[in-house]
Amino acid sequence: MKIAAVGIATMCLIGTLVAGDVTGKIAFDGQAPKPNRIRMNADPVCMKAHKDAVVSEEVVVNKNGTLKNVLVYVKDGLGGKTFPAGKNKVVFDQIGCVYEPHVLGIQTGQDLEVLNSDPTLHNVHSLSKVNTSFNQAMPMKGMKLTKKFDKVENFKVKCEVHPWMSAYIGVFNHPFFAVTGDDGSFTLKGVPAGDYTVEAWHEKYGSQTAKVKVDASGKATADFKFTGK
Amino acid sequence: MLLEKRAQTPVEQRSYSKYYLIFSGILFLGTMWSVWDEVRIRRPWKEYQTAYTSMVIEKLDSVRAAAAGELDSALVLQLRDDLAKAQEGLNSEECRAAVEEKTDLQKELDVATREWRFARSRSDAAYYEYKKSLAEGKESSSLREDLAKQDASIVQHAGEMEALNTRIAGLDLVINKYKDVVDSLQAEQSKLMAPINAIDLKLERAHRAPVQIKQVMLNDFEFTPFSEIKARIDRCQTCHTGWSEPLMEEAPQPFKQHPFPELLAKHNPESFGCTPCHRGQGPALTAGFAHGDEDHYWETPLLRGVDTYATCNTCHSNELVLKSATPFTKAKQIVYESGCFGCHEIKGYTDVPRIGPPLNDLTAKTTPAWIFSWVKNPKDYNPHTRMPNFEFTDEDAEAITAYLVKIGNESEYRTMRPKGSFAGGSATAGKRLFESVGCQACHTLGENQVVRQTRGTSYDIAPELTRVGSKVSPDWLFDWLKNPRHYNPETRMPSLRLTDEEARHLVAFLSTQKDDRPANTAKLDLQNEERILRGDRLIREYGCSGCHAIKGMENEGKVSVALSDFGRKKYEQMDYGDTKELSRYGEEEYVELEDGTVGVQHTWAGWVWGKLKNARQYRTDRIAQKMPLFAFSDEEVRLLRMFLLSMTRDVPLPAYQHVFDKRMQDIEEGRRLTLRYNCVQCHAVEDRGGYVVAQYEEPALGPPLLPESQGAKVQEAWLHSFLKAPSTIRPWLEIRMPTFSLTDAEISKVTKYFLGLSKQDLSIRDYAATPIEEQYLAPGRKLFEVYQCAKCHPTGNVRPGGEVSASDLAPNLSLAAGRLKPEWILDWLHDPSKLQPGTRMPAYFYEGKGPDESIFQGDAEQQIKALKTYVWSLGARQRSVVAQTR
Repeated sequence: MKIAAVGIATMCLIGTLVAGDVTGKIAFDGQAPKPNRIRMNADPVCMKAHKDAVVSEEVVVNKNGTLKNVLVYVKDGLGGKTFPAGKNKVVFDQIGCVYEPHVLGIQTGQDLEVLNSDPTLHNVHSLSKVNTSFNQAMPMKGMKLTKKFDKVENFKVKCEVHPWMSAYIGVFNHPFFAVTGDDGSFTLKGVPAGDYTVEAWHEKYGSQTAKVKVDASGKATADFKFTGK
Repeated sequence: MLLEKRAQTPVEQRSYSKYYLIFSGILFLGTMWSVWDEVRIRRPWKEYQTAYTSMVIEKLDSVRAAAAGELDSALVLQLRDDLAKAQEGLNSEECRAAVEEKTDLQKELDVATREWRFARSRSDAAYYEYKKSLAEGKESSSLREDLAKQDASIVQHAGEMEALNTRIAGLDLVINKYKDVVDSLQAEQSKLMAPINAIDLKLERAHRAPVQIKQVMLNDFEFTPFSEIKARIDRCQTCHTGWSEPLMEEAPQPFKQHPFPELLAKHNPESFGCTPCHRGQGPALTAGFAHGDEDHYWETPLLRGVDTYATCNTCHSNELVLKSATPFTKAKQIVYESGCFGCHEIKGYTDVPRIGPPLNDLTAKTTPAWIFSWVKNPKDYNPHTRMPNFEFTDEDAEAITAYLVKIGNESEYRTMRPKGSFAGGSATAGKRLFESVGCQACHTLGENQVVRQTRGTSYDIAPELTRVGSKVSPDWLFDWLKNPRHYNPETRMPSLRLTDEEARHLVAFLSTQKDDRPANTAKLDLQNEERILRGDRLIREYGCSGCHAIKGMENEGKVSVALSDFGRKKYEQMDYGDTKELSRYGEEEYVELEDGTVGVQHTWAGWVWGKLKNARQYRTDRIAQKMPLFAFSDEEVRLLRMFLLSMTRDVPLPAYQHVFDKRMQDIEEGRRLTLRYNCVQCHAVEDRGGYVVAQYEEPALGPPLLPESQGAKVQEAWLHSFLKAPSTIRPWLEIRMPTFSLTDAEISKVTKYFLGLSKQDLSIRDYAATPIEEQYLAPGRKLFEVYQCAKCHPTGNVRPGGEVSASDLAPNLSLAAGRLKPEWILDWLHDPSKLQPGTRMPAYFYEGKGPDESIFQGDAEQQIKALKTYVWSLGARQRSVVAQTR
């Protein structure tokens, strides 16, 4: 009896422990559009913040031929499992009249800290349709706002004062998402064993999905390839 | 012999007990059955109620368990312990002693108070005696002494009372020390337990719910056909037990919650009943009879689906918009826009303007060949036109054309400019203008059909322009674009204030939009007098003047039947022509059968469906039909049928009716006006319209929606001058607010509409005299700088070619003092997107604080007031300059 109980307990423990990382790369193929130069003449503060020319972050192809700013996440397969909201706050900065980061993922209920590091007026206007949309002014350097989202959605954020500023926020009800950086790779950490649909989303090139199986070995890969038009 | 015989006379000796037993058994069973039938079978509601009660209890139990699970049990226990401890404190030595002592002192105080009152009476008496002795001229020292003694006694007793009160207050402090703890703990506990207690209360009520008939009786509800007052009795809630219970949202009928609780908030079934909206047989207690499925002679069977909205019209016949009844609003809009009232008299549509253009000057606009083919079949040129197809023969169409050409030739209309003034435009520039200034808010052209799709109707509100180049003369088009009211003083087409050059570009562009199908080459003989006379007769016969002003037809009436009681027409009073009875095909409304004939249900609903689908459906060899063919979608037919179902003369007595007060009348007038001039095409008002906004990537780039607070926003005088001559407010908009050339009376209707929606009354105010509170001016200027309002808002003359493009600018704030109401600016700064959802203006203040805490300690109210004062001063200064230069 006792042994059985211990057995069941260990099995449960192992069941939750069997989890792995889904890794992959976002390759880019074809012709990348010519980078769009951003002219910040409208606001001298923004102009001063940059020595070099600033280009749009809409399509950024890395040196190793991968695509930056792709949001990768588990789209399907978690069933009804719920996950506690992340304890760490996610920082979303406005610096040099550019959003940093340009694309970010966050969990429902997790704190998003919106920061203004510029000595000029910005307004953060979320064009969210499912979550309550907000549009708040941040006229002073160092101002902070904390936001929370309660529904799963991917929406755009923009600034009316500086029309070139845009960013994308993906809200998920689980912690398995990542945004590709300068090497175009991503890792979804600690995904429980199971079969999943993983989606990669890019603001210009749309989304692609892949089927992924995470088994006892705890490793799985999913590579994507976007093609420029 | 006789006796013997008598002895033999058969005395009944057989036993009948067997039969008695059988028959009495049958009788017994019969009685039992009749009791059972009476008590159970004919009272299915008893079972419903029992089932409902157990459903509710089950649900409440699970809700309670969930609520209990959410409770912080540690906190509950902690509270209970604390409370017990605190209550022990009440029994402590100190507290009990204090209470006892207080009781004793209270008694002493009562005695002291009584003595004090007596002393006062005694003093009054002594004073009287003393005064009396003075008046009698015999001053008595004994009396004076007595008075002094009594007065001293008052002071003494008062002193005693005060001392006692002080001691009691001291004891109260001690007692309250214990009591307060208990009170606050008890409050905390009841707050914590409130959700559970509420559920417990509901549970208790459910357990005790009696099985009984639930009846609503509406005395003096309506008139009988003999004009006698009659009551209405509803027992629907006897079976439909869960109508108000949110837990029953998903439950099956008859337990389900009513799907629109917001409607019930205004029509409470407990006082209003159910049948005024749903019809059916109120007093009946079985589904078959109550709903009318079994009782075919009940005249008002239960309404189902969208038909239920028909009854809204019994009380709301003079309203076009009911917010919680979208199908009703939509049906009324279809009737309004399709012009049914041109031929039929319809309650609520007696003074609506004709929907078609006047036909007196057609020859200046188009060619006889085009008129001919249009009259023959308008849907051929423009499939989405509202003009129905009369299926005229070639000869009839030619005759009508002949009449129209004749009056056209007699017309005095001439274009304002000499012929050929239209020439010289660029089609490319015209296309750009067409796509930006706002033509597409009403007109579709080619591939772009966004407006038609967002409107969601089968017809267009303005003509599609895909083939317009083959229809209109460019001279006429130039004249029309420059000033539509010149050709047609009644037109709804506004002026977009086009310059000559712009108008030429548009003419050039629209002239390229040709009908690429082979042209009709029929030879028309239009001069024949007999033919013209025949055209005259046909126009009268088919009631063309119901929709169009036509010279010579000014006194024609409506050509078809009145519909005001059509909903009560019996199905056996209707003529189904040669159509086949469809009931054997099941529920299908309309079937084109293999033998080329058509089948409809031979019911009221079936007849109407068939008629609206194909108006000539019921024609036979002997019976001609004149109603033209519309091309309504199935959804529109369903809505129109519901509307027709609402056409009855049954109206409840005033006590049960919606009060149509002055404000409601103002609002209704405004709704009609906004529908007539298609304001709703661009601006969403009262949650409807704004169709053009779908063409923009972001709502803020389209025409602004007009929130219900609009009346509280702009000054009446400004609105008047703006509607007379619109000027730029939002520099980023490419689409133009047109000039509608509204009359003063119409503008006043718009003003009252906006005021009505924002629940304001028209008041005469001198906005220019609004005082500027100097103490707020300097902080306001400072905040304006710190918050960098000028990043988007210009505050004076705008320099063209600045670094910020016009598309990124916000309204010029020097307009504010002449345009806005000061109170509105405060509300706006508090939360812009609450007043104008989707606005580009960000909120600066949250949780009562502004971003800069160095001014007014960051207090939002004060900062907002300061900003308003400064913004107001900008315009005030500007305006004084204008006054001087005048």
